[in-house]
Amino acid sequence: MDATEAAAVLARARQGDSEAFRALVERHSRSVFRLAFRMTGNEQDAEDVVQESFLRAYRQLGRFESRANFGTWLYRIVANCSVDLMRSKQARHDQVRGDSLDEAVELPATDTPGPERMAHSAEIERRVQAALNGLSPLERAAFTLRHYEGRSIDEIGTTLGLGTSAAKHSVFRAVRKLRVALAPLRSQES
Amino acid sequence: MTHHYSEDDLTLYYYGEGRRRASIERHLGSCAACASLYREIAGTLAIIAAPEAPERGDQYGLEVWQRIRHKLPEQEGPAWARHWAGLFRHDRFAFAAAAAMLVLLAFVAGRVWPRQPVGTPAPGTAQIAGGGAGADVGHRILLTSVADHLDRSERVLTDIMNAPARGDISSAQRWADDLLDTSRLYRQDAMEAGEQSVAAVLDELERSLLEIVNSPSKISTADLEQIRRRIDAAALLFKVRVMSDELRQRESSPGGALPRTSTRKTT
Repeated sequence: MDATEAAAVLARARQGDSEAFRALVERHSRSVFRLAFRMTGNEQDAEDVVQESFLRAYRQLGRFESRANFGTWLYRIVANCSVDLMRSKQARHDQVRGDSLDEAVELPATDTPGPERMAHSAEIERRVQAALNGLSPLERAAFTLRHYEGRSIDEIGTTLGLGTSAAKHSVFRAVRKLRVALAPLRSQES
Repeated sequence: MTHHYSEDDLTLYYYGEGRRRASIERHLGSCAACASLYREIAGTLAIIAAPEAPERGDQYGLEVWQRIRHKLPEQEGPAWARHWAGLFRHDRFAFAAAAAMLVLLAFVAGRVWPRQPVGTPAPGTAQIAGGGAGADVGHRILLTSVADHLDRSERVLTDIMNAPARGDISSAQRWADDLLDTSRLYRQDAMEAGEQSVAAVLDELERSLLEIVNSPSKISTADLEQIRRRIDAAALLFKVRVMSDELRQRESSPGGALPRTSTRKTT
């Protein structure tokens, strides 16, 4: 789909043409899923975010400015849907999340799994995931955008609707928490 | 005394951001404490590799479409139409709708009422009107800037109108705060340029933005309702939208940038 064709499809979708919107869904679904998975760290949550993001995008197409980039606009919607989903999960499962953070922090440095229990890289991944689960939804989103997505602080602010300072401090808080949570792992590595 | 860099400085440095990259780099070569802290930060962040997203096949887009196609909501129209329709949909807004309709009629009447002859400049426009082509360009820039500003403000107002009860409106507040200062400057410029009706809309907009900024972030249902009622009663979203459209038409029409000479307020 070239730029002219994409613009025409978008214009039809904005007028309520569901077939045109279908073309947009088919075109962007995989990249939306990748971002949602990075943001949530969970396949099922990512699927929920994909679905909710497209529904939200369809509802709000009237607000989309045609001179803007649809992909960028959708990216923001996905990031914010992810934050919303993590917030609602956090509200429901606060205790569970706390437990997983405690686990990440309290694992003793000598608790290196042997080859018979689990591959070392899988253990690292599990602990990193637990540490990420210990972040607030906004910290996790800001960290994901900075660390995995390579977005600048300014871009993170724009994407999440934050000021530059708030975006920066969300990243700083995330890094501080991750350093504490992953300290045992680092001492094993060294 | 040796100056050390903070963890936050070093985090920004790790990500290739921050303004003092060259001096941090030199410092890390000579300060063991900062170099150690940096190694610790970089070591932690290096452990955190991007998770591999499970693969999705070529038909994934179609699968997503099949899941959502029966759930597609109604599309929201332009914000002003959405808002206007909403006024009549809810009984609780019946009074506000009636009041808004009266305001609207006055507004439209103000737009179509015969204006003063073009040759009679409104107070404050003499300087611009006498400036020839340069003044016209300046005026067009003002119209474009104000139209953009009104579009942004419309989005904040729309967010507030759609905010959930007892929700957190802090991001809308930050946005409103940014717009507030700009709004004051544009209002002064509009007054000086003889754009009385633009200034009047900006004046009303400022009051609503100020109210949003000064409300608690975790706003109560009653407070949120009060802000919405005021926006409704002033038909503010509608006026902002209409004014923005009008300014855009004027900026693109020959001679359209000339200031409105009517001093009649839009309310």
